[in-house]
Amino acid sequence: MGKCKIKIACLEPLDILYEGVTNILMKTGHHYFFSRVGDLDELRVLLEREEFQVVVANPAALLNRSGDVMKLKRDFPSMPWAGLSYTFVDTSVMNLFDGIISLSDSRAEVSKKMDRFANRCNCDDVVKEELSAREKDVLKHLVNGESNKEISDKLNISIHTVISHRKNIVRKTGVKSLSGLAIYAITSKIVSL
Amino acid sequence: MYQTHKTFVTPAMSMWDLLSENSRLLLLLEHFEIDFSVGEKSVRQLCVDNSISAKLFLSIANLYNGFYPDKQDLPDVDDIVNIIRFLTNSHNYYKEDKYPEITGYITLLHERTGDKRVKMIEDFFKSYFDEVVEHLDYEDKVAFPYFLSLVDGSGAIGGSSENFSAMEYSTHHSDIETKLADLKSLLLKHVPLDNELSLRRKLLFSLQELEYDLLIHASIEESLLLPLANKIEGQWGSAR
Repeated sequence: MGKCKIKIACLEPLDILYEGVTNILMKTGHHYFFSRVGDLDELRVLLEREEFQVVVANPAALLNRSGDVMKLKRDFPSMPWAGLSYTFVDTSVMNLFDGIISLSDSRAEVSKKMDRFANRCNCDDVVKEELSAREKDVLKHLVNGESNKEISDKLNISIHTVISHRKNIVRKTGVKSLSGLAIYAITSKIVSL
Repeated sequence: MYQTHKTFVTPAMSMWDLLSENSRLLLLLEHFEIDFSVGEKSVRQLCVDNSISAKLFLSIANLYNGFYPDKQDLPDVDDIVNIIRFLTNSHNYYKEDKYPEITGYITLLHERTGDKRVKMIEDFFKSYFDEVVEHLDYEDKVAFPYFLSLVDGSGAIGGSSENFSAMEYSTHHSDIETKLADLKSLLLKHVPLDNELSLRRKLLFSLQELEYDLLIHASIEESLLLPLANKIEGQWGSAR
């Protein structure tokens, strides 16, 4: 599965830059989804509301707001920030970013730079969609109508682990509903009718 | 939202150009009960001729072309009637058109292959369709009357209808989308069949069309109707 969904929060007041970067990225083969905001306060609202993988921001829009940027980075510590550089901006602002995309970068360079951020997603870890033995166990119990708690008791694992297995099952199979998973279990001969 | 790379629709554009680029806009016209013979008309002219606000038409046309509405571009109160008409017509499209079509394909696929797994898919789809009909009935009987009551303010004056819940609404939508996606996964990944390529293609195309329109339907309700309802309730609240 080469494509995974990567949500990018984009703070870019300039239309030409926004359209340019998003167009290049949309053609790279990754599934990028962009949400655009005009300022740092809107960015905070957005990040609090939905989960994003990367922030792309125009450093020039962050002048005198380094403190707020750092607060935001502290509140969302695992989120990389890519800066769009097209004009001279103070080093103290540029240093807030984990990577810089420059106006003079070629398509290939832009794509490569974003790949570094985008590879944080774990879809490349799933080479086959074969479920592990443990995941198959969890699936059997799920299809039997058991709750997370019952499964955790029967298999002697924590509920957190059960939930983690469930997420992997959904991710590997592409099937989310219990009734759909029941069909999957039968067609894959994990469970028999 | 689907990345469609389609044109952002504006009032002066030619309807013919837009329809040529994205034939799915025909569904939009059908749900608005607008005839397809658009001739040389612009979007603006079409709206005038059919007594629909251009603002509303553009919001929905842009949804079909892959653009979410801006928060400040909410429709007007008077548009609610046309929005509900659009959504009600969509319901008929799902109930009388798409679902019977899809059910027909699956049943035929079962008859032709005799495969037990296809029977399971048939049952899955039937129970899913029952859930959908329940949701559509909820909209027709509870949600839409509530939204319509906001036009003259009678619903807002009485406060939010106890029967209508915005959260329940969103949950229904997401359940419906999930099961449809599951069906595609099952058909494309987990239930390999030896023949009937052409029938399976028709089935998958039909599922795709349904999914697309449902996504827009849910977007209209969640990005246009609900925020508009909140705004109206707020206005009535401050007027009291």
